[in-house]
Amino acid sequence: MFRQTPARSLVLIVTLAGLAAYASAGGFFAREIVIEIAILAILAISLDVVAGFGGMVSLAHGAMMGLSAYTYAIFSVKLGWPPLPSALLGVAASGIFGTLIGWITGRTTGIFFIMATLAFGQMAYTVFFKWRWLGGDDGLGGLSRFDLGGLGIKMGNSLTFALFALVLVLAVYVAAAWVLRTAFGRTLTGIHVNEDRMRALGVNTVMHRAQALGFSALLAGVAGVLAAQHVQYISPELLVWTVSGEVLIVVILGGLGTLIGPLLGAVIFVLLKHEISGYTNHWHIVIGLLLIATVLAGGRGIYGQVEHWFSRRPPPPAGTAEAHDA
Amino acid sequence: MDASFWILQFLNAVQFSMLLFLLSIGLTVIFGLLHFINLAHGALYMLGAYIGISAAAATGSFWAALILAPLAVMLIGAVLYFTLIDRLRGAGPMNQVLVTFGLIFVFLDLVRMGWGDVALGLSAPPSLAGTSEILGVKYPAYRLFIIALGLVIMAGLWITLARTQIGAMIRASVENGAMAATLGINVGRLFFIVFCLGCVLAGLAGVVAAPVTSATTGMGISILIPTLIVVVIGGLGSLQGAIAGSLIVGFIETFGAVLLPGFAAVLAYILLAAILVLRPQGLLPARGH
Amino acid sequence: MLEVRKLCKAFGGLKVTRGVTFALEPGERRVILGPNGAGKTTLFNQLVGTLTPSSGDILVEGRSVMGLSVAARARAGLSRSYQKNNLFEDLSVRENLMLAAAAGQGKAHSVWRDSFRDAAVRETVAEVAQQVALTEMLDMPVRSASYGSRRQLEVGLALATRPRILLMDEPTSGVGPTMIEGFHRLLHSLPRELTVLIIEHDMDLAFDVADRITVLNFGEVVFEGTPDETRGNKVVRDIYLGDWQADA
Repeated sequence: MFRQTPARSLVLIVTLAGLAAYASAGGFFAREIVIEIAILAILAISLDVVAGFGGMVSLAHGAMMGLSAYTYAIFSVKLGWPPLPSALLGVAASGIFGTLIGWITGRTTGIFFIMATLAFGQMAYTVFFKWRWLGGDDGLGGLSRFDLGGLGIKMGNSLTFALFALVLVLAVYVAAAWVLRTAFGRTLTGIHVNEDRMRALGVNTVMHRAQALGFSALLAGVAGVLAAQHVQYISPELLVWTVSGEVLIVVILGGLGTLIGPLLGAVIFVLLKHEISGYTNHWHIVIGLLLIATVLAGGRGIYGQVEHWFSRRPPPPAGTAEAHDA
Repeated sequence: MDASFWILQFLNAVQFSMLLFLLSIGLTVIFGLLHFINLAHGALYMLGAYIGISAAAATGSFWAALILAPLAVMLIGAVLYFTLIDRLRGAGPMNQVLVTFGLIFVFLDLVRMGWGDVALGLSAPPSLAGTSEILGVKYPAYRLFIIALGLVIMAGLWITLARTQIGAMIRASVENGAMAATLGINVGRLFFIVFCLGCVLAGLAGVVAAPVTSATTGMGISILIPTLIVVVIGGLGSLQGAIAGSLIVGFIETFGAVLLPGFAAVLAYILLAAILVLRPQGLLPARGH
Repeated sequence: MLEVRKLCKAFGGLKVTRGVTFALEPGERRVILGPNGAGKTTLFNQLVGTLTPSSGDILVEGRSVMGLSVAARARAGLSRSYQKNNLFEDLSVRENLMLAAAAGQGKAHSVWRDSFRDAAVRETVAEVAQQVALTEMLDMPVRSASYGSRRQLEVGLALATRPRILLMDEPTSGVGPTMIEGFHRLLHSLPRELTVLIIEHDMDLAFDVADRITVLNFGEVVFEGTPDETRGNKVVRDIYLGDWQADA
């Protein structure tokens, strides 16, 4: 069961504040890194909701993000709609896509679920790769950012946009943590632990899983709009399955099923990537070995491992432990 | 588009199917026996191609490369087996997917370090350099060689599985691993042999493909998806399934590219999704699953 | 309340349920007896919907539930416990009961309210914990609970949905005499309006709690009657009690 512990809240605030400070103090390059982290973190949090708490390891999250980005482009660039409704439609499209995948694959689990999400993700990828109206494999440019000029906020400024991205990370985290602490999240965990019994208790588990994947896809859709507005250009590469694979790596490195771990994972992943790329081209091997080492070490990930160490201490005196909230 | 055009496409489809078969048969039998899903199988294929190119350059002979590269890939596979695969048996599909996904990254960079990030070609042996007349069309002799090689290996595996003692052991273990162990089959050794055989075939597929597609660092990842589709469509663990799946995917991709340009890839994914949802055990499942 | 009409189930040529017919009155306690392989659990699985019968009908309060899924039958008031513990192993006893109580009260899906903080859910959990004697163990992880406690939780989960019909599959399988006594007390303490169908091996429990007993053999109902009638019946004695006495 998900718990928003004080430690998790602290890590969330410190990490976001640190990133904000880094963006403010650093130059354009630092801000680009912060935005990249934010996009990856939103995707990773979104994936953790279903993978960590629902046992649904999806390789379609890149496709969900890309679908949202393309929907945003269709409405804002091709049809000339204002950014905000286009963005909402993008997020909604991703949510519908996720719900559909969840509903169709409702009875598949384990490796078959992974393969099925791969299939649906790649279908979406191929569609945009071939769709000349949307630029095909060349992608599509000319996307605009939200216009908050009326509020005196200039989104064209890289610092402003980086801070906006961090606000979205916070919003997505809060939404995910909120839902995981409601009846919906409790039931999702119940299905993860024992789907058969949950069904016997009267829960339509197929529907519930589909809704969970839909919710997760909504969050992934936020990352899509952010990615589209960031570089103001989109290409089918957003949807390809290896993007989803990377997000999965981020979740595992950070700590599957901890929700805050994926945020840390995203920070580490992006910093490592840029740091290693500084003196070698071969950062893939580092990430690959890190991933293997993490799994062989028990698969708890960085945050999960730290929590595990602390949880092995003697429990606090009775009465202070909020066990009923577990 | 006359008859010879369609015959050409037909031969192309068969040739691609044979390549897919060499890759998928290892993957599917490994799954059937060990319940292990090895995403790094495509990376072994890529290694086969690169090692084959180096072996051909060193020995000056394609035929030497055809023997050496699969053996080298088998050695790499044996090392993998003892360091990771054996440890991950029973660790659940999630952990297996993650570790072998990590291996893809590792091998990708190792190849980049060893051979650089450029496409490398490999010449077909002089004896197979020209074209041959078949079914009234001129067709590259080397591609005919791939088809023949695929058929020979298919027949060899079929006989091995159906007629030999080790084949009987494999069939027994795929059907019921626990039962096979109680019958005195050394399951651990059998797994190792089968895993190595899968690696040999992946390496072989790599070196065989190199003269047709040339070797690139992306080849492992791009062949992985069609191979997985073959395995799932055919039924995890099933030899007949791998044959049927290879032909289905080979023909869909080849003819789809001609008849429905742009939608060939989607067709394969739709088929995959439909099988997963409607018939997750695959078209020709190995018994016991 | 629960009616089964001419229920048949065959696996290939093997007929495991042959024209089973019986009806439970509201509040009735019915025990199904039968030797191993009599088709008791198969019958059970058809009642809850995990197996589809070849023919026949199952009615809850006069309405057929044949078209309903496992979950929909559970929502219609049919709740089951398993012969082999089927719990939420990674969670605490309290969380187990909370999930069941929330599902039973239709509070499993809200994205606004936390079912675990819901007053009615918590009240149900406290009551059920009392009933199955787990109040002291609520915060224990299920994994580290004893077999006996897990057996109690198994029944607790079925009770926590507040069913109208409770189906229990050998609730005392594998537990010692003290706990069997506890089950007697539990069964007697259940609200009188709750309809209960129990598959049981334990004769004493059957004779103690049952209003009526149905005896199954080779997938067929061979006898139905009160405990007293069952004791005196020759057919039952031959196929079941004889077997049972030989075991003892």
